[in-house]
Amino acid sequence: MIGELERQGLGPTGNDFPGDQEPPRLRRAPSRASDRNYPRYDWSADPAEEEDGAGNAEAPPEIRTLPWPMERKRAVRQVQQMRAHVSFGAESWRRNKTKSLRKLQQNVREFLYFFSLWRKSLQKIGGNFGGGVKSYFVFLRFLVVLNFVSFLLIAGFVIAPSLVRRSAGTGGFVNSTDKESCLVYDPNPQGLVVFYEFFLHLLSGTGFMEDSFMFYGYYNNNTAVEDGSLSYNIPLAYLFTAAFYFAFCLCCIIARMGTAARVAVATGGRAIGNYSLIVFTGWDYGCLGDRATKLKQKNIYYRLQVDLEEERIKKRAASLTPWRKVALYTLRVLMFLIALGLIGTAFYGIFEATKFSQENGDRFGILGLFIEYLPSIVITTGNFLVPLLCDQIALLEKYSPSITVVVALLRAVVLRLVSLGILLFTLWSQITCSGDLEKEDCGNCSYNNKKYQCWETSVGQEMYKLTLFDLLVTIALLVLVEFPRRMVVDNWSSKLSQLVGRQEFVVPSNVLGLVYGQTVVWTGALFCPLLPLINTIKFVILFYCKKITLFCNCRPALKTFRSTTSTFFFLVVLLFGWGLALVAMIYSLAVIHPSYACGPFRFFTTMWAIVPNSFYSLSEVTQEFLFFIGSQAFSIPLFALSCVVMCYFIALASIYGRSVAMLKAQLKLEGQDKQFLVKQIEKMKRNNI
Amino acid sequence: MGSTSSQLDKDALSEYQELTFLTKQEIILAHERFSAMLPQEYKGATNIRLPMEKILEMPELKSNPFNKRICHVFSTSQPNDGSLTFEDFLDLLSAFSEAATMEIKSHYAFRIFDSDNDGTLGREDLEKMVTLLTGDSKDTSLNGEEMGQLINNILEESDIDKDGTVNLSEFQHVISRSPDFVSSFKIVL
Repeated sequence: MIGELERQGLGPTGNDFPGDQEPPRLRRAPSRASDRNYPRYDWSADPAEEEDGAGNAEAPPEIRTLPWPMERKRAVRQVQQMRAHVSFGAESWRRNKTKSLRKLQQNVREFLYFFSLWRKSLQKIGGNFGGGVKSYFVFLRFLVVLNFVSFLLIAGFVIAPSLVRRSAGTGGFVNSTDKESCLVYDPNPQGLVVFYEFFLHLLSGTGFMEDSFMFYGYYNNNTAVEDGSLSYNIPLAYLFTAAFYFAFCLCCIIARMGTAARVAVATGGRAIGNYSLIVFTGWDYGCLGDRATKLKQKNIYYRLQVDLEEERIKKRAASLTPWRKVALYTLRVLMFLIALGLIGTAFYGIFEATKFSQENGDRFGILGLFIEYLPSIVITTGNFLVPLLCDQIALLEKYSPSITVVVALLRAVVLRLVSLGILLFTLWSQITCSGDLEKEDCGNCSYNNKKYQCWETSVGQEMYKLTLFDLLVTIALLVLVEFPRRMVVDNWSSKLSQLVGRQEFVVPSNVLGLVYGQTVVWTGALFCPLLPLINTIKFVILFYCKKITLFCNCRPALKTFRSTTSTFFFLVVLLFGWGLALVAMIYSLAVIHPSYACGPFRFFTTMWAIVPNSFYSLSEVTQEFLFFIGSQAFSIPLFALSCVVMCYFIALASIYGRSVAMLKAQLKLEGQDKQFLVKQIEKMKRNNI
Repeated sequence: MGSTSSQLDKDALSEYQELTFLTKQEIILAHERFSAMLPQEYKGATNIRLPMEKILEMPELKSNPFNKRICHVFSTSQPNDGSLTFEDFLDLLSAFSEAATMEIKSHYAFRIFDSDNDGTLGREDLEKMVTLLTGDSKDTSLNGEEMGQLINNILEESDIDKDGTVNLSEFQHVISRSPDFVSSFKIVL
């Protein structure tokens, strides 16, 4: 015990006056603090002896994890190497193995270093604008890689075999049915072509684009047969690739969420306390330059101010009279209803626009193009105006700053994703005559044959138009709004330009734009296999555009978005989008009758029907095995086992939480013990004098 | 001199790779930057100490409010004047590198914040730290009352054994709950 006190630097205090009431810590002799806080390295420990004693000895800690100057670390390494020469057998073999494993890990890390896309740009962005903006670009990079890999998947399994199949030349066989009228489909009407038709076709996905690998309608339903031995079932491949694409994206997102989630759980959900965290971990050592440093300092000051003020507000709110509380809550409910009304109006507008566009879709020329793009235009306008108005509403609601941000984000997410859902719903009601298959338009072919000879291609075209319009609007905003705004603010100093100021890079709304774009791609991938490639190119263009606008037109935001919790939030929102696309895909696969006139699934009742058909062509053993896996005899024990495993982990987690609390209490007690003992020592010394 | 100043030999390179968290490219780059800062007559010599003023001219450290503390912490000179040898410089980069563990980073962060080198963060240490964090200018410094409120809050949250100071374990406990610390405690050349 005395040794412990001495180790903490409380040496004998013979020189001090007994009546001194200073806290014990100040009375030590000044010594090198670094020694006190260094971890102890056991120079005398012999790894060979430990091996004999305990069954599994731990490897000595890696030298570089010891916080010592280089000379000391070198000395330790030499000692270790001398020991390594002395010991033999399994011990040295294991040590060599760990060493080579570490070297391998290091080599892999250095190798992957080269492949990291846009690393220098991200570093520059993070240094000048902070972690929040950098997390947007990191998210964008993740989506680019995801889309590119998905495209490779689709190209390998669907497009390449179709290419081979087409060049092999044999046409598809045609089942003779009585549905003659349903087989009419001509994507490429010949005749006089106006000169700008090419451009119109490019923008709307019709004409030469429709009759290409872009869209579902181009693929055939034949099984490629080469030399009678090799067969490739293209329809089955198409279906399974689409399903696997969704599963693959889900795995990537969950894997990325894993790290962020682990950290979020470790911090115990609730932050230990904002102030310590901001002060101890607030500084970003990657900040470059005087300007960025001053901004970071202002940022930290602002955060501290906001927290201190929130504390004061909370104290004040707790002391509100009941009448004022009631008034505040009624105001909040009213504002909520107004916001809901605004969002509902936007939805109705989208519904009407889509219906109008689908009904009048056969006009030509520029007017026709405008009508075709009407849903996209309405969605974009709604997504722009409604959050602005909701922001104004939020000013009246008087929530605390953190809750305001979350509420605004939730509203924007709901708006974006549900507006896309409304668009899909409208399309569905047009294609299947609102589900009523007895109507005269749908009675013949179980889908609206008059309007859509090939409905899957039409859906694909709609998604393609949405993607393209999104990109065009971003570039147009960049050129027509952001650059002029900067030029006006910089060169014309007036009260108005001071008020408006340079633009801020608002991370949440930009991220929602990315999520929206990715959801559109997921929805359309089944009907337009090349859409992931188009999306990759679009996101790459977007990266460079946003980077240019960031460095030229934006000033860094004062209110920042925390980087790791925000990454988790972005991925959660992306999962919502994935869920919406999944619902759309499952519905199209399982319920709607595929077109008779085009595509690999003609003459099946639903797209899914090909799986049971192919299933019966498998061998007996495989069929029985698959039946067994699907039966109750297998799934119920599996379910029970996973419940048990989950309960185990939950129990483990709660035990860890409890032991952390216990250790904290123990620390407190030890501190009190220490104070008590020090006082005893002083008393005894005083008595001895 | 015509030849490039003292290339690192392979043995030294692999030794540094083992003793620090830096990759081979990072060590070579650090060597180039360090040699570029050496005055002409000393190029090629080993174990030269660069004075603190020279180190603080590096763009990565120039505007960092903690730059002087960083130099003092990593310096191994005997009356500690903040001068760094090449090996001290490598230690610095290793602690701030991407691969360094949370323990090493929190250890060095603690020593950087401990201005009076007494092994704990007392009220004066915390006040100095907050002033460095928010800057010296008039519109970003907290007044006395706000500073007092802030320091009280910090001590209430992090001082577990209630002795009025934050020691290394308490500091590491707070740091371990921050998801951003490891990624923000990074200096890359």
